[in-house]
Parts: sequence; C-alpha cells; structure tokens
Amino acid sequence: MNRASSSGLYGAIQRRRNRGLVGLYLVVAAFLVLYAVLFPGILTIGGFSKFTQNWFPLALVTMAQALLMLNGGITLAIGPLVSLGAVIAATTMGSAFGVPGGILAVVAVGLGIGAVTGAIVALLRLPAIIVTLAGSFIITGVALILLPRPGGFVPGWLSTLLAGHTPVAFLLLLVILGLWKIFLATPLGLAIYAAGDNPVGAFRSGVPIERVKIVSFALSGVLAALAGLFVAAQTGSGDPIIGAPFTLNSIAAAVLGGVGFLGGKGTMRGAVCGSLLLSVMINVMFFLGFPPVAQYVAQGLIIVGAVAVPAHLALWRAAR
Amino acid sequence: MTDAGPLLEARRVFKGFFGNPVLKGVDIALRPGRVHALLGENGAGKSTLINLLSGALAPDKGAIAIDGQPISRLSPASARAAGIAVVQQELSLAGDLSIAENIGLGAYPRRFGLIDYAALARGVREVCDLVGLTEPLDMPVADLALGRRQMVEIAKALFRKPRVLILDEPTSSLSAHEAGVLGRLIATLRDRGVAILYISHRLNEVQALCSHVTVLKDGGVTADRSLAGVDGEGLVRLMVGRETGELFPPKPQQRVGKVRIDVEGFSAGLVRDARLAGRAGEIVGIGGLVGQGQEDLLLGLYGAIPAKADRAEIDGRSGLPVDVAAANAAGMVYVPADRKHEGLVLPHSIASNILLPSLGRLARGGLRDRRAEAGLVADLARQLMIKGDVARPVQALSGGNQQKVALAKWLPLDPGVLLLNDPTRGVDIETKREIYLMLRRFAAEGRLVILASSDTPELVHLCDRVLVLREGLVAAELSGPAITEAAIVGAAMGVEQGEGIGRKTVQ
Repeated sequence: MNRASSSGLYGAIQRRRNRGLVGLYLVVAAFLVLYAVLFPGILTIGGFSKFTQNWFPLALVTMAQALLMLNGGITLAIGPLVSLGAVIAATTMGSAFGVPGGILAVVAVGLGIGAVTGAIVALLRLPAIIVTLAGSFIITGVALILLPRPGGFVPGWLSTLLAGHTPVAFLLLLVILGLWKIFLATPLGLAIYAAGDNPVGAFRSGVPIERVKIVSFALSGVLAALAGLFVAAQTGSGDPIIGAPFTLNSIAAAVLGGVGFLGGKGTMRGAVCGSLLLSVMINVMFFLGFPPVAQYVAQGLIIVGAVAVPAHLALWRAAR
Repeated sequence: MTDAGPLLEARRVFKGFFGNPVLKGVDIALRPGRVHALLGENGAGKSTLINLLSGALAPDKGAIAIDGQPISRLSPASARAAGIAVVQQELSLAGDLSIAENIGLGAYPRRFGLIDYAALARGVREVCDLVGLTEPLDMPVADLALGRRQMVEIAKALFRKPRVLILDEPTSSLSAHEAGVLGRLIATLRDRGVAILYISHRLNEVQALCSHVTVLKDGGVTADRSLAGVDGEGLVRLMVGRETGELFPPKPQQRVGKVRIDVEGFSAGLVRDARLAGRAGEIVGIGGLVGQGQEDLLLGLYGAIPAKADRAEIDGRSGLPVDVAAANAAGMVYVPADRKHEGLVLPHSIASNILLPSLGRLARGGLRDRRAEAGLVADLARQLMIKGDVARPVQALSGGNQQKVALAKWLPLDPGVLLLNDPTRGVDIETKREIYLMLRRFAAEGRLVILASSDTPELVHLCDRVLVLREGLVAAELSGPAITEAAIVGAAMGVEQGEGIGRKTVQ
C-alpha cells in the first residue's frame, strides 16, 4: 500500500477500518443466507420489513451502548431508558402535543437523563457502571410512576408507518447511521475514540475529555429513548418494563461486534453488525425450534466464543 | 549564543508533594535557537520541572514566564496556545486511530464543523516528512513499532508549530537511525529559532546536540552553564554527591557466609545473560537508570515471570523456582515497589496484613489460633518499630510505615533471601534510616538481601556489592571501595570511566 494521497485520506482510513471487520461481515452474511434459506419470506418486502423491525430497536440500543464502551464507559440503564421512552411516547402522543410533541418529549428526556448521568460520571469521577446501575433503578421507578401498568396511546397511523409492511424502520436506521458517520467526522466525534483509548493522552492533546463524556452519554440516552418510542409504536402502547432485556442484549451485541471493554477498541459499524448477528441468531434458533431456555444458553456460549476466538487467534499469531 | 530574551522561563520555582519538597527554587530559561539540556539523576525533579513548564502543574512559589511576562496560572491549554509543546515519555496516542488522526488530535483543521481530512493530510504529510515517517497516514498507530510511535508523538508536537519544544527522553525507544533523524531535526528546528529543552540520560547525545546545560540535584540547580569544554565525566560529577549524614548504618567487615544464590547466564524479561551471586550476610544492590531490567531480575529470581539460566543454585538446590510458591518454599520473598497495589491490602488492619502469609502456618486443626497470631503481631511490631495500634487500617500509615508492614509480613516465614524492589521510594528520611537498620540486621542474621534501588546514595552506603544494569545487561559489578556514586552513575549512563575510579566489569 502506497502513501495515501491527500484527497483520499478519509476514504483510506474507512477502508482500513472495514478490512479489520471482514471476518465479521462474512459471518453476518453467512447467517443471513442461512436465514433466507430457512425462511425465504425475508426476501419479500413484507418479510424484510418485519425482519428489520425486529432488529431496529436492538440496533439502536447497541449503538447507544457501543458509543459509551468506545469512550471507555458502559451503561446498565439502557433497558429502563427504553421503557421510559416507550412510556413517555404513549403518555404524550394522546395529549394536545400530538405525535411531534411526543417525539420531542422522548428526545428531550433521553438527552437530559443521558447528560445528567454523563455529568455525574465525568465531573464527580464516579464509575459509570455504578452510576448507571443506580440510574436504572431510578428510571425504572419513574417509568412505573408515570404508567403503573401497560397502557397509554400511540396513534394507529404511527404504528402502521413504523411497524407496518414497509421498510420505514430500515430507512430510519440508514439515516441514523448516516448522521453518526457525519458526527464521527467532527473533532468531537473522533474525540470519543481518542478519549476512550488514552484519556490522559487525549487530555494532554487538548481534548476536553469531560465534555466528550457528557456528550456521549447524552447521545446514548437519545438513542435508547428513541428505541423505546419505536417499541411503543410496535406494540401500540407503553409498557413500563418492556425494555428490560435490552440492557444485556446491547452489551452482548456490542461485544459480538468487536467492541472492547477497555475503551477505544472497536468500531460502531462492527457493533451494528453485532446487533444484526444477534438478531439473526435469535431468529434462526427460533425457526430451528430451539426451546427458549436453549436459546439463552446458546446465545451465551456464542458470545463467549465471539470474544475468546479472536483474542486467542491474535495470541496464536503473535506466538508464531 | 543568541541575545534574544528567553521564550519560556521558570523563576525560583518551588514545588512539593505531600510536604515532600521536590523543587527548591529552580531557575531555567529557554532561549530561541538554543538546545538546552536538562540533566539530573532519578528523582532529581526533572519531570516535575517539565510539568511546571507545560502547565500540567502549578508551582507552590515562584513563577513561569512566557516572553518575559509572568503567567499567573498556566494551564496545559494556555501553554499550548503559547506555542509550548511537550513530548512526554509515556505516549499520548490512541492506538485504533490512524497516524493522521493522532497527529492532528486536539488541533484538527475544520471545514463546516467537520474535520477537513484533505487539509489534515497535507499538514500531517509535512511533519511526517520532517521526522521521516513514511508509513501510510491511514495506518492505525497500534500497528506501529514502539520507536515509530515515538516518531508519531514527535510529529504530533511539531504539527502545532511550537516555539518551545520540550523533549523528555525522546530517544529511549528509538533505533540508532531514528535517533539520527531526530538529531538532524532538532538542529533544523534550532536554526529556525525554536527553543528546545532536551532531557536525556545519554550523555553523548547531550554533548552532540546541546549547547547549554542545567543540572538538577535534589531539587536544586547545581549547574547552569554552557556545555563548551565540559566532558562526560564532568557532567557526571555535576549530577552526583550529596549529604548523607548519619543516614546509613556502618558496613560490617566482610563476614563471608554460605552461598545463598548463584546463577549464571540468567535471562528474564529485559535481563540477558546476567551473573549474580550472593552470600548470607550480604546486601547486594541492583542499580541503573529506571527500567533497565532491575524489576525483571528480581521477578525472574522469584519465579513470577518466565526466566531461564544456564546454571542456578539457590540455597544448595539447583534450578530456578518455577513459580512464586516454589520461591517461597525455597525461602525467597519479594517486596514489590508498588506497595499500595501489590504489597498490601490497604483497607485492612496492620495486624491482618502482617498475618496474611502466616495464616496457614499458625492455624491449628484448620482454625485460626488467635493467641498465637496476637503474639506474632506484637513481636513483629516491636521489632520493626511500627508505632501505634495494630488494628488501624494500613492506609492510615505513612508511606514509610506502610513499607515496613510490607516487609514485616514475610519475616515469620524466616526467609533466607529477601528481594526488595526500591523499598525506600517515597519514604521520609527518618523511616529510611529505620529501614536501612532493619536491612542491615536482616543481613547480620544470615539472610541475603537483594535490593533494587533508584537511589544512588543508598547503593553506595548500604550495599556490600552493587550490580549496575544497563539495557538488560550487567554494565558493572562493583564492590568495596569501588562503589562510588560516580562509578554507578557512569556505568548506568554508559560513560567510560578513566583509571582509578574503580570500575570493574564482570568477567
């Protein structure tokens, strides 16, 4: 490989990031093919729409989780934020504010909770895992106070738009990924990686690492709350505990996608692929007739394998 | 020499940490177009001075001045804005980001709020050409060898077009070729009027590159002069020698005990092909600059990292211990340098820390014998002059007393060999004296003490024999009157000593 020409630096960096993920891309492609063989319905518009609608909230929460893991943090409040997003959506959309007001409220709540959490972690220098664990209890409590049992109202047309027979969810995901790419091309976006990898070095280089952390938490909160809005539209109502499984699934998907626990390692595109892989795996196991318990066991084994195999391959290569 | 005023100065700066003075009224002035060397032994205060000059720390007293104007509160950001760039020893790079993204970090050119990758590539290409980095700019830094990463770090400093460039041991991980490139680069920058502060332990580099030198010793300036007409030995003389007072117990006349350790062709970590022998009753010092393999030597003997030897005999048994348990069984114990993380359980009491290695031995019928434990703790606390209630948590003690606890816990095992890694670092002078007395007494009891130390007077005045390591090799083995500060520092820095200084190489 020759010197990157001045105009092609950005493209060259992107290509190199993709190259490291070829293995993951192949595994995802193989599973997709297997899925299509088992369930050819995915190749129709309706089937594709349903499939991507199942994947969509997991993709969003995985992005929310990966954003923080790349910055050297983690969050255990994903699930409760999804629930709260669903509850806010279902309680505001029926009011005078309507759907636009509801969306605005969901985004504002996600942004606000994320920013406050981030400020506590960054400015008081507390461990993210503890702060978000505490936050998860508080957020769950608030969701249950707002809507003690599933209910609320989501307009039928919104459910049809997002979770009907058209791939709107998939298009929205593409838009969100595009926005992320633009954000990553700003100094602030790239600083998320730098500060996660080497916080002291980034600080010495003039990166405002506290601000970066707060922004990461705020964006993560928005993504999780939006996933909640989508789930509310999917189910047609708000459920104050519907998000619970998303916390650990978001971590699992990010890890499957090669995001490391120590910060700065991994890529967002890898994490999104990881969420797709997890989503496909769950579906495939379902269609193969695995009982739910066996699905959980298999899921766990696959995740440990996904971490162990690359790490030991690298060791083995280094030893040769 | 140039007549222009200094770009960056420290004026009579004082700085202490936890009541421990590190800098005691230091002056230094960096002038444009001059390469200024900063020399001093480990712990002389060089790093602290760099941190003051770059705004990472604020002085307790005195001032930092830029362009002759004292700055009341210099921050890293304002120092950068004033054109001060520092290349630190630890790298400030993010491994997964590309070379270009690392070099530009914190100073990206922007267009419409986005990073202008085209402009970044041009700027980065320019500084990479200066430092001789030919790797593709999109390559992640993690894929580079350590020396190349150091060059990226230097390019990163240049990318900000500094007026003052501070280089803290920039060549320690560079190949000879890379060091040559850096040397030419420094000359170019000097000719362009950049003020350069160059910290290095390699005196030949200092003599080749620098025209002025400031020597720090014990937090004070012992020389601030032109380098013209000063040779290597002259520089070493400026760095060594300090008041030792009554700090050290007298060395006994050599009483030769039985051989406790005898290894040949020993390699572990950085250490290559070392020969080490020690007898009961001896204190053997391991000296050298920081990180030349001292810790690896101790850990290798202790079975904590993989080690091999052509021949090894430890207390009459042949072979190195295979692991830490085997080393303990063979009567070897290790006291780590990082007592807070490796040596002690800080929130637990003094008593339970002391008892930790002995719990199994003192137990009767699988249960702890509280009375025997209390007796042992009281006995050790008295022997080691640990003052106060043994039920207090260890973290309530001063650093020196913590170190005494870390030492004490091994004594009930009656070890034949004590491996100590810099036991007096960060310890106050009075406790140092007590630790020295203790070590001397351990030796008198027939133990072998192997002491890695970053404190040269300690090696000179406490040890019966001293091995000086340099880049993993034993650069000198000194004994008796040949142990002088000049000989140790000279060997550590690779300065050839003339006749009469008493340097003796290993055969």
